[in-house]
Amino acid sequence: MDTDVTEDQRALLDVSERFMGQTCPLTVVRDPEARNGAFLASYRRQAAELGWFSMLVPEALGGGNISGNGVLDAALIAYKRGGLLQPGSYVGTNVVACAVAAAGSDELRRQVLGPLVAGEVSASWAVASADANGEPDGGVTAEVTADGGLVLNGAKTAVQDVEPLSWLLVTCRTSAGPAQAVVAAETAGVTVTELDALDISRRFAEVRFDNVAVAPSAVVGIPGAIADLLGQQLALAAVLTAAESVGAMDHELNMTVEYAKDRIAFGRPIGSFQAVKHVLADMSLAVEMAKAVVGAAARSLGDDDGYGEEAASIAKALVGESSIELAQNCFQVFGGIGYTWEHDQHLYLRRLTTDAGLFGDAAWHRERLCQLAGL
Amino acid sequence: MSNGTDIETFRQEARAWIKANLEPRPKASATGRPDREASTPEDIARARVLQRKLFDSGWAGLSYPAEYGGRGLTALHERVWREEALDYYTPDFGVAGSVTFGAIGRSLVAHCTPEFCRQHIPAILSGDEVWCQFYSEPEAGSDLAGIRTRAVKDGERWIISGSKIWSSGAYLADWAMCLARTDWSVPKHRGLTWFAVPTNAKGVEVRQIRQINGNAEFCEEFLDEVEVTEDDVIGEVNKGWAVTQTMLVYERGAGEMGASMVEPRELAPDLVALARKVGRAEDPAARQAIAKAHINDYAQYHLGHRIADRLRAQATPDPAVAAYGKLASGVLAPIRARLGMEVGGPAALAWAAGDEDGGRPALNYLNGRVTSIAAGTNEMQRNGIGERVLGLPREPSFDTNKPFNEVLGAARNWNSKVG
Ligand SMILES: Cc1cc2nc3c(=O)[nH]c(=O)nc-3n(C[C@H](O)[C@H](O)[C@H](O)COP(=O)(O)OP(=O)(O)OC[C@H]3O[C@@H](n4cnc5c(N)ncnc54)[C@H](O)[C@@H]3O)c2cc1C
Repeated sequence: MDTDVTEDQRALLDVSERFMGQTCPLTVVRDPEARNGAFLASYRRQAAELGWFSMLVPEALGGGNISGNGVLDAALIAYKRGGLLQPGSYVGTNVVACAVAAAGSDELRRQVLGPLVAGEVSASWAVASADANGEPDGGVTAEVTADGGLVLNGAKTAVQDVEPLSWLLVTCRTSAGPAQAVVAAETAGVTVTELDALDISRRFAEVRFDNVAVAPSAVVGIPGAIADLLGQQLALAAVLTAAESVGAMDHELNMTVEYAKDRIAFGRPIGSFQAVKHVLADMSLAVEMAKAVVGAAARSLGDDDGYGEEAASIAKALVGESSIELAQNCFQVFGGIGYTWEHDQHLYLRRLTTDAGLFGDAAWHRERLCQLAGL
Repeated sequence: MSNGTDIETFRQEARAWIKANLEPRPKASATGRPDREASTPEDIARARVLQRKLFDSGWAGLSYPAEYGGRGLTALHERVWREEALDYYTPDFGVAGSVTFGAIGRSLVAHCTPEFCRQHIPAILSGDEVWCQFYSEPEAGSDLAGIRTRAVKDGERWIISGSKIWSSGAYLADWAMCLARTDWSVPKHRGLTWFAVPTNAKGVEVRQIRQINGNAEFCEEFLDEVEVTEDDVIGEVNKGWAVTQTMLVYERGAGEMGASMVEPRELAPDLVALARKVGRAEDPAARQAIAKAHINDYAQYHLGHRIADRLRAQATPDPAVAAYGKLASGVLAPIRARLGMEVGGPAALAWAAGDEDGGRPALNYLNGRVTSIAAGTNEMQRNGIGERVLGLPREPSFDTNKPFNEVLGAARNWNSKVG
């Protein structure tokens, strides 16, 4: 994705790619039975050995990255993951690890970070809600208790890849303003209900909270004063999700270009028709532009250069729009075969359209960009 | 001044020289381009004086070979110079400037003899020679290899006849880089030759053409038995297409992408000002439009860097890779202009007489498709990317293998049958 990848980064990407190709090729991706709990647990542990979940955690807390810019390292892996539509809560685990490292209590850090970095458990960010207009604190309300704990009520939706032992970072609304807490998925009063979803390469759940009591040590950030933290989390989730999308866009475009060279109609390859060729050229430009922007945003955010949040929203908005466009256009080039279950294009269409909507869709990030600029 | 190529030292030296020698100018517009470009002979005369000053002090032609009056530095040094000079008045030759120092100067260095370069390159770098492009013709634009201007050898001389059109800044230029057909009995790409033609040569007539924005910066030319010599040949006779390939890389902006010079971080300042002016800063539709414009500005800037990196990584820069930058500006510029009209609403459709500011969205709108057409249309960039980067098969061609003198007749009698 990036034009100047260091040797160390290259090595990490190569082993990661080999690991994914061997452990979880598209045949596994499209088969939910094959992606059962035992598979995911083993996949997660192997991924952790490659360092997939340590990039956003400082060394002092047991993490570490390779280039000095953990966001860039994590985005490069996300890009590779996206190409093969990899399952598991990669974005969620990294965002939660980052948030806990940045603002969690010592107790929470001890409890959560080690297992996350080692791949013993995963984490998901419960942020979206069905009726909150994209506000991250929607859907769940919380009462702040006398000791500084929280009591959660309400529901989050489209929570990705929740496993039985997962940690959930719940962003909720208190009378003081937005707040967050880390809750184990198996806590009493938490109900995880598997949903049917457009994207069949991952799992999505609704998570209900019925009077779920959260200890003060599990509250992340000070209720009503988490705007900066939330901004960082959103930016990180946006960049990593966009990077996964760029990987998927790249892969899908390559598949489509190959098809356009092979498929014959009217005595010549369909890729020689300008109507087809020009669409593919436009989509190739979209991929180049997406790579340039996501790479720049990852650098900006990871280097903390003062424009990271804006750049992340730019990346998410740009990719959110162009990825769906690309998926639609590639579908069209495949013709009838693209409408079959057997063909892989629908896996990409489903993934790209879903990622475009997670952690803020294009319109949401455009508005955020205006707000960040003080407009 | 050190001869070192160390970029930080260079930046310090450039900054110091600029501060001591150039005149500051009001903060550059969002795109980093001046709002008004040189368009009169007086503008050019002023630009020549300033260019001479840069040349005499060693700040002209930074990445041109030292033997021809340049500094032999890299594209990165050029960029650093431009960044440092952004808020100062630098020589403004208008459209003629980018043409002269970009596509033409670079192509000449790449393809001409040392004698030719010694004659012309220092003259270009010092501002003595301003050049223009005699490429397009009334009958051939996208299909550049289909031009019909002819050059006939007559002893030591070449006699050129034909007509050229859309030549930007030709009325301000001293020389033209002119494409002519020198062999009609071979397929179109194999019978072309480039010539250096003085615009004041006998038989050259230059007429300005009025554009949709009311200006008249591009021209048409009539070439009536214009005489040049063998020394004026650029590259090799009948091998002009090789020169064209080089020229296209630079024309598509291998180095400068027509985008902003610095990473655009300020939210589309022109559109924000416009939205405030028309009272729509709170309007969600206007806010979406503003954000879109900024996202595209940011994307174009970073795409430019990415493409420049990719081109640098290639032994011979591939025009098809440069086409990404060209296509991006050809696609995004009209969108940018339309967003301005959208934000402006009725105020962008009609404004107080003489109010330049009020008329700017409309002017941008009228100019929005220049980059979609000039220097190769979007469609040509898509063909290039599709065929040479993605490797998609070419369309059947009716002319590439026919001797050119049979092509026109065959096209006129085309019966829509293939093969
Ligand atoms: C502001 C401006 C400045 C210019 N400056 C210069 C200059 O300095 N020197 C110079 O020589 N020229 C200059 N040009 C000319 C410019 O390069 C041509 O206009 C351009 O290459 C298109 O050629 P054309 O106008 O003949 O259009 P045509 O080639 O006739 O094209 C008309 C339409 O057909 C499409 N088309 C043509 N062939 C194909 C194909 N194979 N596949 C798909 N679509 C196709 C084109 O994309 C376009 O949409 C300038 C033009 C403008 C607008």
